[in-house]
Amino acid sequence: MKLIKSMCKAALLLAAFSLFASPLQAAPYDGYSYYYWGTTASTPNAYLPEKVIDGAEQGVGKLNSPTDMFVGADGQVYVLDAGNGRIVVFDKDWKAVRQIREFKNGAKQERFANPQGIFVTDHGRIYVADTDNSRVVELEGDGTFVREIGAPKADVIRAGFEYFPRKVAVDRAGRIYVIGRGVFDGIMEMDSDGNFTGFMGTNKVSFNFVDYIWKQLSTKEQRSKLAQFIPLEFNNLDLDQEGFLYTTTAEISSEEPIKRLNPTGVDVLRREGYIPPMGDSYSSNPDASSLLIDIKVGDNGIYSALDSRKGRIFTYNEDGNLMYIFGRMGEQVGTFKTPVALESRGDEFFVLDQATNRITIFKPTRYGALINQANEMLISGQYTEAESKWRELLTLDANNEIAYVGIGKAMLRQGENKLAMENLHLGYDRVYYSKAFGKYRKEMVREYFGVGMTGLIVLIAVLWGLRYAKRRSTGKVKANVT
Amino acid sequence: MLREMTKYPFYVLLHPFQGFWDLKYENKGRLRVSLAILLLLAIATIVLRQYAGFVVNFNFPYDLNSINELQYIVLPFFLWCVANWSLTTLMDGEGKFKEIVMATGYALLPLVLMRFGNTLISNVITVREAAFYYLFDILSILWFVWLLFIGTMTVHQYTVLKTIMTMLLTLFVMGIIMFLGLLFFSLLQEMLGFVLAIYTEISLRI
Repeated sequence: MKLIKSMCKAALLLAAFSLFASPLQAAPYDGYSYYYWGTTASTPNAYLPEKVIDGAEQGVGKLNSPTDMFVGADGQVYVLDAGNGRIVVFDKDWKAVRQIREFKNGAKQERFANPQGIFVTDHGRIYVADTDNSRVVELEGDGTFVREIGAPKADVIRAGFEYFPRKVAVDRAGRIYVIGRGVFDGIMEMDSDGNFTGFMGTNKVSFNFVDYIWKQLSTKEQRSKLAQFIPLEFNNLDLDQEGFLYTTTAEISSEEPIKRLNPTGVDVLRREGYIPPMGDSYSSNPDASSLLIDIKVGDNGIYSALDSRKGRIFTYNEDGNLMYIFGRMGEQVGTFKTPVALESRGDEFFVLDQATNRITIFKPTRYGALINQANEMLISGQYTEAESKWRELLTLDANNEIAYVGIGKAMLRQGENKLAMENLHLGYDRVYYSKAFGKYRKEMVREYFGVGMTGLIVLIAVLWGLRYAKRRSTGKVKANVT
Repeated sequence: MLREMTKYPFYVLLHPFQGFWDLKYENKGRLRVSLAILLLLAIATIVLRQYAGFVVNFNFPYDLNSINELQYIVLPFFLWCVANWSLTTLMDGEGKFKEIVMATGYALLPLVLMRFGNTLISNVITVREAAFYYLFDILSILWFVWLLFIGTMTVHQYTVLKTIMTMLLTLFVMGIIMFLGLLFFSLLQEMLGFVLAIYTEISLRI
């Protein structure tokens, strides 16, 4: 009876605990990550949905199929609400500050027509890719019209070129980068006056080998009927602090959907991670690979990409190591139907959903915050402080290979070569393992050289002596026989 | 006897012409030594795949399977011997099957030595010195091919050109044998399946 009573008590207690504990841990998705062998493993969630913004609560009316958003240098969020033909500006506390619906171009009042992209410079100038009006509009922060930049004019532009700007970015020198719909020649680069200066960073043409053979075998007339091999167009871009362009391309099963273009248009992205920065990596099923549609460069060389297929956000550090994955498609709060834009402010992420007309705000969990902090310390060279963060991280996720590498590198710095080797082995970093091993080997040789050499000399002497003795004894035997 | 048996493969290693000649005409070769070398090679490969140093070891631990190693070493060995024998009997070769097995087995010795050696070396090298590891690996393969070439030439008493031709053809014949084997097994499977289906059909109807 007593036993049953205590059991009942325990069950009740357990039930109570789970009742109280579950809402806290409820996440609409499960964290996971990719590891050295290309396998996935569960991790704690790095980010959780915090809040949802739909415009109605903020008193500016519901958003209607918004297409893009941008976080300005002052932390204000500019949402391009295409369905309502307006720009809504939210401040840091998500209070609607102002709306821009129309502007005065000369004598005319003008509006946007299906605008797809927005960019705000550090000085607060707003650039809008006003897609169906075939122009990029520059506005003052308060919505005063500055100028419009029309279709590029140059000899290199194909006949029948149609100008539908989709995304726009402006660097510190005032150069304007525009991605156009169906423009596969690259990103259109314009100088600060809006004159077209050239295409940059064209994607490479990829084609099917069988198609290529067919093309070689067919006649000229047949060939003109076949589909052309053309490079895929970029679908989004972002600028980092150094003025390098990060771009995404919606290419299935490509290992380089993310590029970092230097000012001459060469891809300089570091791909040192266990798998290349490409979103999900399904080696067995390439059709299920990610379709990246937006990219956001954060602080400390971190960048994140938004996958429109599974609704996931992949974050990488400067070296291309995968830091964390979160998000998914769904109906719940914190999931997406048609995610279109990704932004970040500090350590928060915002995802804009075109179908549900809302912005979801994500905040880091303890796990996510630890990764961010450790990475920040690593970048700024505080290796010892980073090590303690990595150690704390390992208590939450003992599989985290990047943490082992971080600890290994810190140990190497402190001259703990043996420990460094163990950690770097766990993190599968062969180059740094080698460095640690080289030092350890030197240490061992120094320590045991004396003992080893003495031993060797003694051994040789003993062998020699034995041989001598044996020869003498056999000689004696022979002498006896004769 | 044992001393002679262990020493002779090393003699062949360094003096292939004289070594393979004596192996055939002076009755110096032993079949069990040849098979022992084959077994050692399988062991060496297993050891290398498992215990090679981290710097050069890219094997996924869960993928390692010692049965597979046997399959990829012992099977090709006998396939080579059978293919070579079948071919050379038609091409005026003087070697008997036993001699072919012996010559091929003795030729494997450099691979055995290098794999054991490389297992040790790989554990004391860094990434920068890994080039040596790969160098030894390639050297051992070249040495093996060299020994196999001399062995085949001596055992069958061929000219250089004919030996090269025979070796290439042997590879081709190995392919044919494998193809026939697969064909045989798949036909057998079809046949058994057919019989089984008829049996099921009848047993269900009666």
